[in-house]
Amino acid sequence: MPLSAPDLRPYLEELERFADGQLSAAEQEAFEARLETDPALYQAYQQYEQLTADLRWVAGHETLYQRLLALDRRLDQRQEALSRVRRRQRQQQSRWGVGVAAAVLALLGLWLLWRPTAPSAATTWKRYYQPEAALPDSVVRETQRPLLAEAMRHYREGEFPPALQALRRIPTSAIGQDTLTYYNGIFLLSQNEPEQIQAAQPFLRRVATQPGSPLAGRARYHLGMAYWRNQQTTAARNTLRAVSNDPRNPYQEAARRVLRSRVLKD
Amino acid sequence: METPQQLAEVLTSLRVGNQSFLVQFYEQNRTLFARWARRQHQLEPVSAHELLRTVLVEFYDQVADGRLTKVPDNVRAYVYGLADEQVRAARTTAQLPALEDGRRQRLLALFRTMGLDCQKMLMYFYFRGYHFEKMAGKMGFANANVARMQKSSCLRKLYELRLRAATAA
Repeated sequence: MPLSAPDLRPYLEELERFADGQLSAAEQEAFEARLETDPALYQAYQQYEQLTADLRWVAGHETLYQRLLALDRRLDQRQEALSRVRRRQRQQQSRWGVGVAAAVLALLGLWLLWRPTAPSAATTWKRYYQPEAALPDSVVRETQRPLLAEAMRHYREGEFPPALQALRRIPTSAIGQDTLTYYNGIFLLSQNEPEQIQAAQPFLRRVATQPGSPLAGRARYHLGMAYWRNQQTTAARNTLRAVSNDPRNPYQEAARRVLRSRVLKD
Repeated sequence: METPQQLAEVLTSLRVGNQSFLVQFYEQNRTLFARWARRQHQLEPVSAHELLRTVLVEFYDQVADGRLTKVPDNVRAYVYGLADEQVRAARTTAQLPALEDGRRQRLLALFRTMGLDCQKMLMYFYFRGYHFEKMAGKMGFANANVARMQKSSCLRKLYELRLRAATAA
C-alpha cells in the first residue's frame, strides 16, 4: 500500500455497510451519488475494494491451509490408533504363541512320562512262560535220592545254580538219563540268563528228540521257549507249533497262547 | 486418474472455492508423498507433510489467481514437481530476504497475527460467503447484528495492522 493512500478509517464503516448490502435503498442511492461527486470517498472505495479482494485471497488461502493442517492432525491420530491396535494384536498373538508353545511342551512332557512302552522281553517271558513244576516228594523219595531231593528243594525256592550243582552230583544210576538231562535243561533255562538259556538248548533238544521218552513233549515246549528267549523266532515258532498240535502234551495250551500272541513276530 | 472432463470440473470448483479436491488429494497421497520426499530430499515425515500442504495451497493460489488456467493431466506429477521446486528454492535462497514481497503475502502474514476468532470470522465471511446470521450461529453470537459488528471490528483491526506495517516500512 503506498504511503500516500488515504486513510480508510473515516469511511470504513460506511463502505463496509455498502459493500455488505446493509444500506437501505435511499441510503444506497445517496451513497452512490456521493461516490460520483466525492473523489476522496471514491478513492477510499477503490482502496476498500482492493483490501477486500486481497482479504478474500488470504481467507481462501488460509482456509485451505488450516483444513489441511486439521486433516493432518486427524490422519496422525488415525495412524497412531492403527499402530496401537496393531501393537496390541501383535502382543496378543505373541502371548497366544507362548501359551500354545507351553501347552505343546507340557503335552510332550506328559507323553514322554506316560507314553505306552513296548513290554520288555522279561515281562513277556514272565507272562507266557509256564515253568516246569518240581518233582513231587513222592516221586523223589528223599531217603533213597537225597541229592535229587535237595536239587528239587533249591529249584522250588528259586535257587537255580545250587539246584543245578546238586543235580549234577546225582549218579546216573539213581535216576533216568533223560530225566537228568531234562532237568539240567530246565534248571539252566530257569536262570534266565542269555548264556544259560543258550546252554539249556542242547539238553532240551536231546530229550525232545528221544521219541520214547515221556519227557520229550515237555522238553519240546521248553526248547521252543528257549529258542524264543534267544530270539530264534523261526525255530521257536516251529517247535511251539508242534507242541500246540500235540493233544497229549501238557503244555499244548501254553504253546497255543504264545503262538496266538504277537510275541513271535519276525 | 481423472478424465479430462473431471479435471476441468476440478478447476471450476476450485475457482468457486470448493477445496475438497485438494483436501482429498492430501488425504490419499500424504503417506506416499512422505515416502517420496524421504527418498528424494531426505525429509522427515512431519516436514514432508508440511511441504505437501504448502504445495497444495500454492496449487490452489495458482488456480485462484488465474495463473493456472488448465489443470495438468497428471496432477500428482505436477504437485511433486512443485514440491521439488519448493525444496530447491528453499535450499538456494535460504539466505535471501523472505519472498513475501507481494501485497497479498504481506496481508497474509498480518492476518496470521490476528486472534483466532477474527481469522475465523473473516474466513467465514470473505471466503465461505456465510451471511451474518449463519456466522452468528457458528461463532455463538446472540444475533446477526453482533456478528456484523464483530466482523467489522476485525476488518478494522486488520486494516490498522496493515497501516502500521506500511508506516513502519
